[in-house]
Amino acid sequence: MAKYILKRIGLAVATLLLIIFVLFVLVRIMPGNPFPSERMSAEQIANKRAEMGLDDPILVQFGRYMVNLAHGDFGKGTSLYYGAPITTVLTTCIFNSFRIGGLAILMGTTVGLILGITAALNKGHFLDHFCTVFSILGVCVPGYVFLIFLQYFFSYKMSVFPYFFDASRFLYSSILPALSLSLFTMSTVARFTRNEMVEVMDSDYVHLAESKGMYGSKLVTRHILRNALIPIVTVLAPLVVDLLTGALVIEKIYGINGIGKLMVDAIAGEGVDYNYVLALGILYSALYIGIMLVVDLLYGVLDPRIRVSAKEGDA
Amino acid sequence: MLGTNVMSLDTDLATDGDSFEVIADCIDGLMQMDADGAAIPALAESFDLSDDGKTYTFHLRDAKWNNGTAVTANDFVFAWRRICKNAGEYAYMMSDIGNIKGAAEIMEGADPTTLGVSATDDKTFVVELNVPVSFFPSLMYFPTFYPINEEFYTGLADGTYGTSADTFLSCGAFMLEDYIPGTANLSVKKNPDYWDADKIQLPGITYQVVGSSDSALTAFKNGSLDVVMISGNQVAAAKEDAELSKNLTVTGAGYMWYLTFSQTEKNAQGGMLANQNLRLAISNAIDRESLVDNYVMDGSLATYTAVPPQFAASSTTGEDFSADQQKFADFCSFDTAKAQKFYEDAKKELGVDGFEFTMIYGNNEGDEVTKVAQAIKEQVEAALSGMVINLQAMTKAERLDKMQNDNYDVALTRWGPDYADPMTYLGMWITDNDNNYGFWSNAEYDKLIADCVTGAYISDYDARWQAMYDAETLVMQEAVIAPLYTKANANLIAAGVEGIDFHPVALNRVYKTATVA
Repeated sequence: MAKYILKRIGLAVATLLLIIFVLFVLVRIMPGNPFPSERMSAEQIANKRAEMGLDDPILVQFGRYMVNLAHGDFGKGTSLYYGAPITTVLTTCIFNSFRIGGLAILMGTTVGLILGITAALNKGHFLDHFCTVFSILGVCVPGYVFLIFLQYFFSYKMSVFPYFFDASRFLYSSILPALSLSLFTMSTVARFTRNEMVEVMDSDYVHLAESKGMYGSKLVTRHILRNALIPIVTVLAPLVVDLLTGALVIEKIYGINGIGKLMVDAIAGEGVDYNYVLALGILYSALYIGIMLVVDLLYGVLDPRIRVSAKEGDA
Repeated sequence: MLGTNVMSLDTDLATDGDSFEVIADCIDGLMQMDADGAAIPALAESFDLSDDGKTYTFHLRDAKWNNGTAVTANDFVFAWRRICKNAGEYAYMMSDIGNIKGAAEIMEGADPTTLGVSATDDKTFVVELNVPVSFFPSLMYFPTFYPINEEFYTGLADGTYGTSADTFLSCGAFMLEDYIPGTANLSVKKNPDYWDADKIQLPGITYQVVGSSDSALTAFKNGSLDVVMISGNQVAAAKEDAELSKNLTVTGAGYMWYLTFSQTEKNAQGGMLANQNLRLAISNAIDRESLVDNYVMDGSLATYTAVPPQFAASSTTGEDFSADQQKFADFCSFDTAKAQKFYEDAKKELGVDGFEFTMIYGNNEGDEVTKVAQAIKEQVEAALSGMVINLQAMTKAERLDKMQNDNYDVALTRWGPDYADPMTYLGMWITDNDNNYGFWSNAEYDKLIADCVTGAYISDYDARWQAMYDAETLVMQEAVIAPLYTKANANLIAAGVEGIDFHPVALNRVYKTATVA
């Protein structure tokens, strides 16, 4: 098992390095100017480029970037939040996005699981239909539409929640965006949980367990849910990254300075900010790879057969 | 409401109006703007000008930074040298515009201590210029010329100045309360130690970065925001609304949108746009009133002059340089018959029957820009048969990149005044200027501008004013650019909020005289 884990981690690191290299090259050949200035002379711009080392061979630039990266230094912005180290700005944005994303994951999975289990246990009855309708709506209605709806009633009409995000009143001002953000996850989890559970509940080993007199919560948690969870974890993983990395439109509507908004500013703002685009690209990739790694390892915990086959495969 | 984020609170790095606004809330310059935009004393109690017009001696008043230390002449010396040494976006205000001795050389690598500024004592700041600059005092309210306390600055870790309330010093009407780079909301509060604190009524200002004008409008109606900027298509609705129409205030934003034509051979079918009649044909085929009434819709003004109205008034007569929008009607108006005549001449001269050009514009420069580009295409193609204009949308950065590398036919671009003098526009079209995107060159024009900036007219205000008019005439006669409209901002201001000064130059909003009921 240890060997399996190590191998997975090694592969993940190699993938990330490759992605960083490709990103680095792509950003350098992207159209647009990192110093979009109308007031600096051509020489001034050339000096700024030289200061940033943009005229060196690309491999030299890459080497320097990797050395800085190893020291946790993403450099400074060229056209965005000039002067401040990217790490500072990124920390603020990650903090906002992750906290709202985290809240959304928590709400989404908890409510989704409860809805899914309720639906499966009441298959064919009113609650099941209710959950199905809810799931379809949740998947079809984009989160930001839901946010505008919530904003209209709870902020504009009733003034229960603030109209914009306010970092100093974090929880209070996060409820609406987190709820909107969690809608898709909630519905997806509910739908998958219901379907998987219904399938598992109809399988031979559950019938056997039932015939042996096992029922109630013990049967649901130990035999049904555990098996049903594997496909759910698979769909949940990329959703988690999506939620953590922030939903662009939601961040924009609610005035949240998160990483989704930062990404768009970096690409489509006044100039193309090489360093921000890179830093965010690396962050996104690292998150995806990290989550996928966790998922792979989680499979092992959830399903002993995967562990076994991995062991056999190694041998 | 701020449309974009505050990019930097460092006067050396800030380039956007929002950053300048917040910096000016917190730091004073030697001079400040009165309600009409004229320069009146701020940190300088008074100033003397030498007989040759080249040496300014500013006498500083007693003022304090919010850490208790006094604002001294050295704070200016330090800040100005730093701007020149770093040679950033606005350093040219020191060299090309302010004409401060040594500034241009320092930007090219000379020793920063050679800058023509000195602190005779703590209260006396002397500036030496290469030539007399008639509008020099009015430059002093531009943030590039603000002071920074040297001791405080050098005590900070590299790259941390202005990145939080703790790493920033205020000496202005307000002080920074809550800020981190990238924040969506920041706040400033009244500075009790401000030299003019008695006059400041607002307890503070909270800024909220709002992504869309729709949420700005709803937040305004809801009472969450007191001052917001709305878009053109919201203005019409606001005017109909009994409540909102009372809150609506349209103010000049200063910058002018215009078309620039590449006149070099590598573009526009082998340099077709070098033909003056062809450029005049396009310019006269555009219905500018329709652009502002039907597409921009926020109170922007159709513009027929190379220097837009509303920002540069003569200091002797008080008259706006571009008050008369009809003065170039022969070369710039909406007259399809005239446009067609120019067009026929151009076709004859060039020996072709039709043209196909590409017009580039930014798709991240405001909602109305795309609509304006489409309208121009329709108007020009309708007026001039055989003319095809293909539209190409891109980011502003890409647009600038193409213009600076002379890789375009026609571009929809804009320029905002940096200082209250027509030269902020006219200076662009001299030969080899980096903003002369058409690569137009006219010796007579170059001479007129040189005489205004460093030559014959520098000490004769009225002659200079006339020479600038002559220069503008050349630009319009030859249709170097096709001016389109001067942008306005449509603001909604809550009842009870009064006294905010709006300016088209340097600082868009100033809150020193603002009150809240």
